[in-house]
Amino acid sequence: MKSNTAAFTSVAPAFVLTGFVLFSPVVYAIWFSLHDIRYGAVGPFDGGANYLRLFQDYTLPGTMLRTVIHTGASVVITVAIALAISVGIDRMKPRAAMIAKMIVILPWITSAVVATLLFRWVFINDIGVASYAVGTLVGGEFTPMTNSTGAMGLLIFVSVWKRLGYAVIVLLAGLKSIPNECIEAAHVDGATPWQVFRLVTLPLLKTPMLLVVVVLMLANINTVETPLVLTGGGPNDATRILALEVYERAFAIFDLGSATALALVMFAANIFMVLAYVRLTGWKA
Amino acid sequence: MSARRRAAKVSTQTLVVALVILLVVLNGLPFVWGVLTSLKSEQDLFRFPPAFFDFAPTLDNYHRVAATGFFGNMLTSFIYCVVAVITVVVVGLPAAYAFDRYSFPLRRPLFLLIIASIPLSIGAAALLIPTYIYFVRLGLTNTPYVLPLIYAAHQLPMTIWILKGAVESIPHELDEAAIVDGISRVGLLWRIVLPLSRPALAAASILAFVGTWNEFVAGSVMVDSPQLKPIQPLVYGFIGFFGREWGPLTASATLAMLPILFIFILFGRQFVAGLTKGAVKG
Repeated sequence: MKSNTAAFTSVAPAFVLTGFVLFSPVVYAIWFSLHDIRYGAVGPFDGGANYLRLFQDYTLPGTMLRTVIHTGASVVITVAIALAISVGIDRMKPRAAMIAKMIVILPWITSAVVATLLFRWVFINDIGVASYAVGTLVGGEFTPMTNSTGAMGLLIFVSVWKRLGYAVIVLLAGLKSIPNECIEAAHVDGATPWQVFRLVTLPLLKTPMLLVVVVLMLANINTVETPLVLTGGGPNDATRILALEVYERAFAIFDLGSATALALVMFAANIFMVLAYVRLTGWKA
Repeated sequence: MSARRRAAKVSTQTLVVALVILLVVLNGLPFVWGVLTSLKSEQDLFRFPPAFFDFAPTLDNYHRVAATGFFGNMLTSFIYCVVAVITVVVVGLPAAYAFDRYSFPLRRPLFLLIIASIPLSIGAAALLIPTYIYFVRLGLTNTPYVLPLIYAAHQLPMTIWILKGAVESIPHELDEAAIVDGISRVGLLWRIVLPLSRPALAAASILAFVGTWNEFVAGSVMVDSPQLKPIQPLVYGFIGFFGREWGPLTASATLAMLPILFIFILFGRQFVAGLTKGAVKG
């Protein structure tokens, strides 16, 4: 009995804090989204009018599609490259591996605003070094920002660049936990390096890989900064993804009613990934 | 080793080297070029072909950024970070200890709720609007404590996760002996658990500090007063303010990443260790 009191007083502050900031706003938002919102003030109950207005918006399917393309492509490319890099780093000597890890996570530890800003300055700007290098090496102009495919490609590129470090760190930890005997046994049995990777390493990496996929999906779906700083959603909405749409609906158009409704739709999507995450971390009591 | 396998090995090595060089360029160049740009005068900035090192460095861009009160906001951001880090450690350590050492009703569901909160705070963009309207309603927006409160809540779940791992590795005999000696609960945490989980505490604190320093969306909407603004939204605001003047823009970006780079250079090892701990487990 005494121990229960001690336990509950120890964990209570943590739940007060997370409950207040992470959970109770969602409950309030559900109530809020079912009311008529004028200039941020809560008017009479009007059922699903905010949701109806949202789903009648003809631009929404496009935004959803772009979100799927951006997140899908970013996650697949990040995981593929991170696999190659982490296998490479895993074979390095400890000192070299440490330096390699530090280089790899540099964009990730920098804020999205600063990283995207600097990326834009170096690689995209018409007076940046990259366009100069491309101009001298290949000839012609490097202007990906003027067409929609180029802009989306660039957004995906920056998203991969920014979060690659995270994926590498997790996969490296996964690789470290694979017993050497498994790999050696496969070698002794005459497997080629590619076979070892495909038939031994990859299956044993399943959990960390799924974890990376889940976290990257969450991070990419919820990124506001990267499209905001890189393209501002343009050209012609080509890079307007869901997170940016919610942000601008609320703070540029000031339609808080439908912005809250859309944020809750997004939150519902997040919940699936949260559940997958909890399952993958596999906590045993 | 067969000739074919040797050839394959050489080509993989070449591939790895090429990949490393590409990564160094892609990851290093923006930062190096950004810092160089921030030190250039306007004439040097628009020179073609771009100048790498043969220009006269100037601090003009930094003076222009400083004139907007940027250093005051760096201090504001720093205070937010320190408050958030202290809060997550003070709230997180007892919780981590209780989750590992006590058995109590609802322990598992409560801990799963903490685990679920880690990815929830990654998806903070979806939570932004609900938190915003809720805090507007409660009159918490544009106060000095709203951002540290949000940041502490975002960083707390990961801190508990990392600290619980540290508590697990403390031998039970140690705290049992201290309890037999009649140590208080606070004394137990302060004198036994805290010193023994120092590496994990360092890792969790660094992670919380960096996460808070880099936060943008909440910082951009929860406060309006210029002196309450953290620096990430300010750097973003400079894009509109300075327009195509990349000198002051890169100067503000350089200042904004300076503390992170500083921590990274000083505590690189703990940093990577912390990321690994937080990342693998959650």
